[in-house]
Amino acid sequence: MSATPPEGGPRGPRVILEEPAPSTPRLDFGWEQAVVPVAAARPPGRWSGLGRVVAGAALLGLGLAALDAANFVADQFTRGPLQGWATLGVVVGGFGLLAAGAWTELRGLASIRAVDHARAAFARGELEAARAEALRWAGGIAEAAPLQPALREAGSVAELRALLEAGPLRALEARSAALGRAAAVQSFAVTAISPSPGLDVLVFTWRGVRLVRQVAALHGLRPGFAGTWALLRRTLADAAMVAATDVAVDAAARALLSNRLLEQFAGDAAAGAVAARRMLRLAKVAAEACRIVPPD
Amino acid sequence: MLPDPLGLIRDAADGAERLGRVLIGQPRIRLAVTGLTRAGKTVFLTSLLANLLAAGRGHRTLPALESAAGGRLRAVRPVPAGIEGLPRFDVSAHLAALAADPPAWPARTEDLSTLALTLELDRAGMLGGLLGRRLLTLELLDYPGEWLLDLPMLGQGYAAWSAAALARLRRGAAAEAVGAFLAFAGALPQEAPAEDSLIRRGHGLYRAALLACRDQLGYRFLQPGRVLNPGPRGETPVFWFFPLPHPVRGDLAALMARRHAAYVEAQRVEFFEPFFRRFDRQAVLVDVLGALHAGPAAFADTAEAIAAIAGALRYGGGWLDRLTGAGVARVAFVATKADHVPARQRDALAALLGHLVAAPQERVGTAGVATSVHTLASIRCTEDAVATLEGRPVAAVRGVLPGGRVAKVYPGEIPLRPPEPGFWEHGFFEMPEFQPPRLDPAGAAGVPHLGLDALLAALIGDVL
Ligand SMILES: Nc1nc2c(ncn2[C@@H]2O[C@H](COP(=O)(O)OP(=O)(O)OP(=O)(O)O)[C@@H](O)[C@H]2O)c(=O)[nH]1
Ligand SMILES: [Mg+2]
Repeated sequence: MSATPPEGGPRGPRVILEEPAPSTPRLDFGWEQAVVPVAAARPPGRWSGLGRVVAGAALLGLGLAALDAANFVADQFTRGPLQGWATLGVVVGGFGLLAAGAWTELRGLASIRAVDHARAAFARGELEAARAEALRWAGGIAEAAPLQPALREAGSVAELRALLEAGPLRALEARSAALGRAAAVQSFAVTAISPSPGLDVLVFTWRGVRLVRQVAALHGLRPGFAGTWALLRRTLADAAMVAATDVAVDAAARALLSNRLLEQFAGDAAAGAVAARRMLRLAKVAAEACRIVPPD
Repeated sequence: MLPDPLGLIRDAADGAERLGRVLIGQPRIRLAVTGLTRAGKTVFLTSLLANLLAAGRGHRTLPALESAAGGRLRAVRPVPAGIEGLPRFDVSAHLAALAADPPAWPARTEDLSTLALTLELDRAGMLGGLLGRRLLTLELLDYPGEWLLDLPMLGQGYAAWSAAALARLRRGAAAEAVGAFLAFAGALPQEAPAEDSLIRRGHGLYRAALLACRDQLGYRFLQPGRVLNPGPRGETPVFWFFPLPHPVRGDLAALMARRHAAYVEAQRVEFFEPFFRRFDRQAVLVDVLGALHAGPAAFADTAEAIAAIAGALRYGGGWLDRLTGAGVARVAFVATKADHVPARQRDALAALLGHLVAAPQERVGTAGVATSVHTLASIRCTEDAVATLEGRPVAAVRGVLPGGRVAKVYPGEIPLRPPEPGFWEHGFFEMPEFQPPRLDPAGAAGVPHLGLDALLAALIGDVL
């Protein structure tokens, strides 16, 4: 090590040793304190072009319809109180149904967002946030309700996780798998006897959507239309991540299809076997997408 | 040169896969980290991974990257191991060694290792919630820096390589080992026999010469790379070749040429094709200060080596590349170990790096790639201090040396451009190796750095 200063003028680089200190210190930049977790500021939601178009159309449609309806009700009142009240009732009922529908959709979306929040809390190891999410979730699920006191007492995120994974999540997984098997048998049967591949696709899609909704309901989510769409997207994205050959799914598919009756078909119904296998996988991935604890 | 059809098909398939991944919101980005040996690749990857993983846990250790991501970074995880036949880059082992008492820097890298990270991001926009999160996969590779210099060998025949290698070696003739090899090679007759003991002796001398160039003279443009760093399997006979003054006639020349061709082919298939044929972003790490302090010859040699590597990589921009979607989007040139100079000299360091890499930067720029120049300390080991030299206060850095002694280091005046020969008249200088600062062995809160966040924002900020 040439830690010795070279000869030369004042411009040359050199090492200046300090007096040896009693202890050999290491520099400490206080990095641990400097980077204490700060709640990440959510950026102000930006409206994309498409978002603005949709919002504008909705505002125009609903706003104009509401104004129109109000004028019409006023007109009807000038005709007579009976007509007026009847029209008002119809208008309020109609808009009320619309609002209720929208509310359900929003709730469905929010419930899926809540899964995201819970996962984020677990991934970041924030105990209190994770506990709050876990308690809220357990409140809505029969299998998990008895676990609430234990969740309240848990001392670490790992403990919370273990509690959830050993109890309710395992049960839910098993029930999701059962739903998947039912869907698999049905789609296998339909594909085996259906006359056209186009019909197969339709049936498969319909059954797949239904399966995802069933699994979501099992996990305490009540996705509306928008929620289902979000969940499907997520499920498909996850499915792309899952290794193409999934040992658990393979085993389940083999167990299902080694039935005598089904074997009769299996020769000319390879497509059916594929469909069944996909359903099993879909159930598994959907259950993973609904879990409030992130994978591994 | 005609493009090879298999490569084209692979490029097209790759391009299609990439497009599909972008459409479903799961882009995959390969970040090529290139740097000559000791440039700081392994330390850079360790710090990058530790800090990104910490940022995924909510620590604000990469503020500029966070703001480039608009605060939408939700989680970061290593991609679980699949069926890869390569070792995984072991971040936690490196971190533990750096945090241990006494701390240890990573040893010279001797084999390839890879790791990929998944960055989970919220989508921007009001409709983003409907689509779920985006998953960005970042692929990283660590490798011995010496091997990178085999890249310029790919397009060269044995005779051309031989002449170029000998010419470069002659510049180091002052070193004893280099002189010994040059004397050996000069004494060989025109049609030397392919005799085994002769070849082994020549190879031994050649390797000693390369080692002397690397370790005593600070040269980097040394080929073939595997002779300096053979990798986990050790030496094999295919490495036993060296440049000859008469590389065309005779049995010896023929055997050397065969080995040269086999070596180049093996490096192409095992190293370059899988890892450097396609990449999306590149960080070119340069130990500017190390090269500067090693003298004018080493400084020029480093510049030449970086230019040769850039000349051999593909940056896209041609019509075939556009058709298959190949090409690099961003390249950052990075002066590493910026904690060796005080804050006020770092701009000078960046300016000097800009001159050092002017040629490759221009070549990359003409391919339509966005470039930038940065200074970086992957792991910050010093604090700024003032030292008094000859009665004059000068800006210096203060850190802990390996034995535990605290020292101030005055790195000299950093010139803004490649200096005149007079600059080196005080003799050469070797920067002492500072001890890393106090670190959390698990690296949970990240690692102190200078400028890593700005570098990452420039490299991958646009895809977040
Ligand atoms: N002070 C300081 N020193 C650094 C930094 N990064 C690297 N170093 C020093 O540079 C040395 C080499 O760094 P490495 O990351 O191992 O270099 P490499 O490019 O992987 O080298 P090869 O494996 O030989 O190709 C380390 O042992 C450190 O002493 C830094 O950010 N600050
Ligand atoms: Mg290394």
